[in-house]
Amino acid sequence: MNIHFKTALGYVRRSPFQALAATFVLTLTFFVATLVSVLGYSSSMLLKYFETRPQVITFLKDNVPVDQIAALQHKLEADSRVREVKYVSKEEALSIYKNATSDNPLLGQLVSPSIFPASLEFSVKDLSFAQDIIDEVKAEKVVDSVGFTAALGGESSLKDVVSRLRTVTTYVRIGGGVFVGMLALTSFVVLLIIISMRMVVRREEVEILNLIGATPGFIRSPIVIEALFYALFGAFLGWMLAFIGVLYLSPSAVAYFGEIPVLPRDTASLFGLFGIILGVELVAGIILAVGGSLFAVARVKKNR
Amino acid sequence: MVKFKDVTKRFGSVMALNDVSFTVDKGEFVFITGPSGSGKTTILKLILGEIMPSSGEVTVDGTNLHSSKSPDIPLFRQKIGTVFQDFKVLPERTVTENVEVALAVIGLPETQWNERVKHVLNLAGLGKQANLFPAQLSGGELQRTSLARALAVNPKLLLADEPTGNLDWETSDSIMKLFEKINSEGKTIIMATHNLDVIKKYKKRIIHLVDGKVSKA
Repeated sequence: MNIHFKTALGYVRRSPFQALAATFVLTLTFFVATLVSVLGYSSSMLLKYFETRPQVITFLKDNVPVDQIAALQHKLEADSRVREVKYVSKEEALSIYKNATSDNPLLGQLVSPSIFPASLEFSVKDLSFAQDIIDEVKAEKVVDSVGFTAALGGESSLKDVVSRLRTVTTYVRIGGGVFVGMLALTSFVVLLIIISMRMVVRREEVEILNLIGATPGFIRSPIVIEALFYALFGAFLGWMLAFIGVLYLSPSAVAYFGEIPVLPRDTASLFGLFGIILGVELVAGIILAVGGSLFAVARVKKNR
Repeated sequence: MVKFKDVTKRFGSVMALNDVSFTVDKGEFVFITGPSGSGKTTILKLILGEIMPSSGEVTVDGTNLHSSKSPDIPLFRQKIGTVFQDFKVLPERTVTENVEVALAVIGLPETQWNERVKHVLNLAGLGKQANLFPAQLSGGELQRTSLARALAVNPKLLLADEPTGNLDWETSDSIMKLFEKINSEGKTIIMATHNLDVIKKYKKRIIHLVDGKVSKA
């Protein structure tokens, strides 16, 4: 084993409680960072879902010729702002109604298909397109009226929902960022203290190494390796705990949010998301460890 | 090998060395003697580049330390072996590891360490103590460890600062015999000492200092 690794491991072995403190703080930091990242992802997906989800329903006038309906449907399908255009006949509308009122069959029996208008349903790729498209569709001769998905309570309430989600997402990102930043700063300070203590304890060794011609890089190497060990181990452990936690909670989250993809649905995408988070955290850990240890060494040297 | 030309070293108002000039040739074994505070250790520190002269020139193996940049100093020190009165061995490493550190410092490939370590430990008579820690060694063995570490890097010049200062006569004598043997192999040795028994027994050139001045060279 390389002499610097051996030396670094020796430091860890000789001061187990310092090592434990450093690892614990870094694990906590990366655990929270992983959760905040997942939360950021989920809130983004939630926002994206509601931004792209709005279903515009164009209720068609009665007795409109099929070719005119088909023409409007083709026109909408060709529009780049629109997606998933679907024709819903009167019978299908009744069926939807019956499904929606299945807990009270009497409601379904009291209506006939004729009272439900046929419609063209579609969603927009971005909420900002909605108003223009609605205005354009309203101008069509075959269209009686236009509305948003009933469950959302119409155009204005949808905007409110999206606005609220945007605010929540922003708060999650800013709040999470600040919290993770504070934890990262704590980790940095803990690393700084531990490395500074190490340098003070090693004063005699550093002096001897200086006298036998060790370069500053040689003297710093075990210190940096030790800090890297804490940071990388902490990053991996924190990430793994968060990953296990998310895996444990994901069935409940998926059940609660239904079709809203707050977490990737397939295993490969889920591992991909966590792989990216781990990669970013390992890089952050390296920066934290190298930066912290070099800063500590420089400070101890300066104060000597 | 070593040349001091009109070297003066002041520490504040204290004049540690005053206009000192001497040369030490390659392969020589020289004693630097003098009472405490006469400037013996200052001379060794100047040779090692630990401190710089206030005026004058110190040249070691053709390198003028005064004009060297500080990043060059470690590389320069790697060519010099140093033995200290207080041994300066790394307390948390075994005898073997203490020697290995010196080899790591000069960047010798790890594959060559074993052979080199065995050679210097046998030379220093530490074959049996190879895996012991400094706390388990006697004063003489600690000094031998320090010497083995200094020799491991195959230095051109060996500096020894009171190497027998903390040892009894018998141990001192055995250490001195080792230095003689090393010198006979062509290494230049500069030893600061005030051990009169050693100076009398091992008749070498003496640079005698009094109050920072060379009184006899």
